[in-house]
Amino acid sequence: MAENDRIQRLIAAVKAELPKLDFVLGYGRGFDALHATPITVRTEADADKLIFDATCVENLATSLYAMRGKRIGIVVKGCDSRSVVELMQEKLLDRANLVVFGMPCQGVIDLAKVRVRADIAQARGAEFTETEVRLLLPEGERVLSRQDVLADKCLRCRYPNPLIADHLIGPEVEPKGVEDTYADLEGFEKLNPQERFDFWKRQMSRCIRCYACRNACPLCVCKHVCLADSREPHWLSAEATLQEKWLFQVMHALHLAGRCTECGECQRSCPMGIPILLLKRKMNRELKEVFNYEAGVDPEAVPPLHTFQMEEEKIKDRGLLW
Amino acid sequence: MRIGVMVCHCGNNIAATVDVEAVAAAAREFPDVVFATDHMYACSDPGQKTLEQTIRDLKLDGVVVASCSPRMHEVTFRRAVERAGLNRYMFEMANIREHVAWISLDRKRNTQKATDLVRMAVEKLRVDRPLTPKSFDVQKRVLIVGGGVAGIQAALDCADGGLDVVLVERKSSIGGVMSKLDKTFPTVDCAVCVLGPKMVDAGQNPRIALHTCSEVEEVSGYVGNFEVRIKKHSTYVDWTKCTGCGACQEKCPSRKVPDAFNENVSLTTAIGIPFPQAIPKRASINAEYCLKLTKGKCGVCEKICPTGAIAYDMQDEFITEKVGAIIAATGIDLFDHKKCGEYGAGRYPDVVTSLAYERMLSASGPTAGHIKRPSDGTEPKTVVFISCVGSRDRSLNRPYCSGFCCMYTAKQAILTRDHIPDSRAYVFYMDIRANGKGYEEFVRRAQEEYGVEYVRGRVAQVYPQDGKLIVCGADTLLGRQVEVAADLVVLAVGAEAAHGAPELAEKLRISYDAYGFFMESHPKLRPVETNTVGVFLAGACQGPKDIPASVSQASAAAGKVLALLSKDKLESDPQIALVNANRCIGCGKCERTCPFGAIRMRELRDGSQRAEVVETVCQGCGICSVTCPVRAIQLQHFTDSQLLAEVNALCRTWDETTE
Repeated sequence: MAENDRIQRLIAAVKAELPKLDFVLGYGRGFDALHATPITVRTEADADKLIFDATCVENLATSLYAMRGKRIGIVVKGCDSRSVVELMQEKLLDRANLVVFGMPCQGVIDLAKVRVRADIAQARGAEFTETEVRLLLPEGERVLSRQDVLADKCLRCRYPNPLIADHLIGPEVEPKGVEDTYADLEGFEKLNPQERFDFWKRQMSRCIRCYACRNACPLCVCKHVCLADSREPHWLSAEATLQEKWLFQVMHALHLAGRCTECGECQRSCPMGIPILLLKRKMNRELKEVFNYEAGVDPEAVPPLHTFQMEEEKIKDRGLLW
Repeated sequence: MRIGVMVCHCGNNIAATVDVEAVAAAAREFPDVVFATDHMYACSDPGQKTLEQTIRDLKLDGVVVASCSPRMHEVTFRRAVERAGLNRYMFEMANIREHVAWISLDRKRNTQKATDLVRMAVEKLRVDRPLTPKSFDVQKRVLIVGGGVAGIQAALDCADGGLDVVLVERKSSIGGVMSKLDKTFPTVDCAVCVLGPKMVDAGQNPRIALHTCSEVEEVSGYVGNFEVRIKKHSTYVDWTKCTGCGACQEKCPSRKVPDAFNENVSLTTAIGIPFPQAIPKRASINAEYCLKLTKGKCGVCEKICPTGAIAYDMQDEFITEKVGAIIAATGIDLFDHKKCGEYGAGRYPDVVTSLAYERMLSASGPTAGHIKRPSDGTEPKTVVFISCVGSRDRSLNRPYCSGFCCMYTAKQAILTRDHIPDSRAYVFYMDIRANGKGYEEFVRRAQEEYGVEYVRGRVAQVYPQDGKLIVCGADTLLGRQVEVAADLVVLAVGAEAAHGAPELAEKLRISYDAYGFFMESHPKLRPVETNTVGVFLAGACQGPKDIPASVSQASAAAGKVLALLSKDKLESDPQIALVNANRCIGCGKCERTCPFGAIRMRELRDGSQRAEVVETVCQGCGICSVTCPVRAIQLQHFTDSQLLAEVNALCRTWDETTE
């Protein structure tokens, strides 16, 4: 099968690079057929455990910043590669110490979407074809449309092929679109400011301040000195009030303005199902309009908020007196 | 901590709409406040004395004064606090005049807002820390940008006072607009006869380093220690060898070059000296028209030059000068008259600008002082002057009065009658603005002695007919239409900020208005200072000015520079960014966003990076601070904690009032 062949080629590429690397970050099979788990490949035997399919949802780039200084290989999907590019743009990664195994990707499944369609607590196996997800459940086989259970970000995916890769394990995949239409923002943008605020008050009331969103974010690189935990300056108190929860999310969104690569890990990791990516998508749309900029696409580009210009083309701050 | 609060009445400025006693009473309840009072004029001598005495008597640690804008009196009170033995940064000012009293008449809510502002100031003061300025050496040199009459005057005055001067001029000669003028009002004396000696002085003064054909490329540093990168445009002539003999100009075969000095009224050569009195009197090549530089063949000037000064391969050169102060004297350019299509400007050769007309009047001009129509070279018998072209015209986005056009128009009308006694001169005007010494009398003389016909009204259009220009306008005093068949129409074009003025302002970090004129620090009390310490203004770059005003402002700016640089050491502002290395993650975003290059990365022994602020270069703008994701870099006296203290104080009072 073609997919098996790809994995064999990935394993071969990893094995070839292993002697030069401390380890390779990749995906292995999780506790069941619907779950993948990140693994560190140090030996050839480890490499044989590598998998790649629609269950490989995690963005492994999240671990990169903490491991800088080491010589690492990493398996990335198209969307994950943007996080790697953004880290490079911010000079937070040393490209020379990094080997990227690029996996063109047909889209990953959203387990929440699977769960509403089937009880997968005891799934024995799963198979993925181009159009279907075949679940092996205790009561028998269950077939879902792959389209129905793909993650939202995959439905509008414009970068299914890694933007940087030392080893591209093809074949390449046709993108779903060229331009982001931000159709998912339509409903939200129709709301007036008060309604938007009410929406977020409702959503944020569920937040338990576990900071999973922060910890899952590949670009939240200052975790050990995060402002949310700081006492000097004391921006956030430990109180579990709506105000503090909301302030944290706003802070997170603002710190990611022009940096977020929309991998969606924040939202995926949220145990309360708060649509946090919406904030970041909205912010990115504004960034796109004002600076015509998209994060994590061009390793050479300077993020617009990481530079200084006296006059911005689309920001008029020197109007006439009358 | 022991905090004292003083609430100022500012006479009736504040007290009329704010219950200052109630504000003081409320302040007594704020944490750490041990004393609060109100005072008629906190800034007055008794006010300051009270402040100092209270600090000493009550052993205060910090003071809040609620009065006017810090722009007005922050320095005053900081000095008073310092005299009483406190650190000058243990002082906060609440602006309850501009921000409260002057913007609303609602006494109750004003009092509430004033109380809120005082509370914010108290809360900030509670987390303020003493800061200590450092002192640094001063460069006793001054850069003057622009070599017009203002720049020359400022240069001469500064050099007289013992300072070394770097004078930068964009054109190949100093002299500016004044050097193009024939006569000056109201005395009708020869412009170049009065300016010429000053230009020579500036050229010869050993303290003045003249850089013509040069522009300011980059300014870094701060008061006392500016570093200026100057771009010297290539002249293709080695000025150390050129003697200004003019032989090259005589022989140059490229003779169809518009003569910019003569306002393109005539043609000149590709190499040459712009005008006989030019300082420095050195030839330069116009690369756009030079046959050798455009087509590669010619080289006549190289053969003819007796000193071998021609250097076709000369490149632009950059030099760096260190100065302690900068005077901007970039002057004006003229409004582009072609924007006024109704006057036929640019379409009919006999519609000229006032400055082109000035060149025609000049004995050293293209027509040797004979007034001739550009179209056929005949002497015009009827000359119409149209004033306010590009001034006082909102439709052209030029609502301001250029100030001097009324006067030069009167002068030009008088000169027209002098040069051509059988001519008639008409002036279409809106109002006559002649408010200088001897100005009104001068306009009267034009009208009464010289018989210049003043028509109050605007011209609707100018069109050609039978070799004449028909000027159609209204005489609003007589209430009827007027038509004059003119031989020549002179447009009194208004002043504009010099081209490139906003770009220079950005480099100097000074403000400019919507029209590109530089902003003074205070329109009445600090007219030659800017908001960037160490940068001063001279002449029309601050707003249209005639010669006397430009010269007096230039001397004023020179006086300010001399006073500033009379000190051997200056104090640096401690309100700059500071990195907390424990929090810094070395991401380098601050380094990339800093507009002043004041942050560099240093490597620790473990190989990790940390940001570091170059204290003398930091301007305290705070961009790094907002960029830093972990807030490791903080602007001193405006730290997150200090600002949060203010915000929390405000939100707390809001909660209390809304509950």
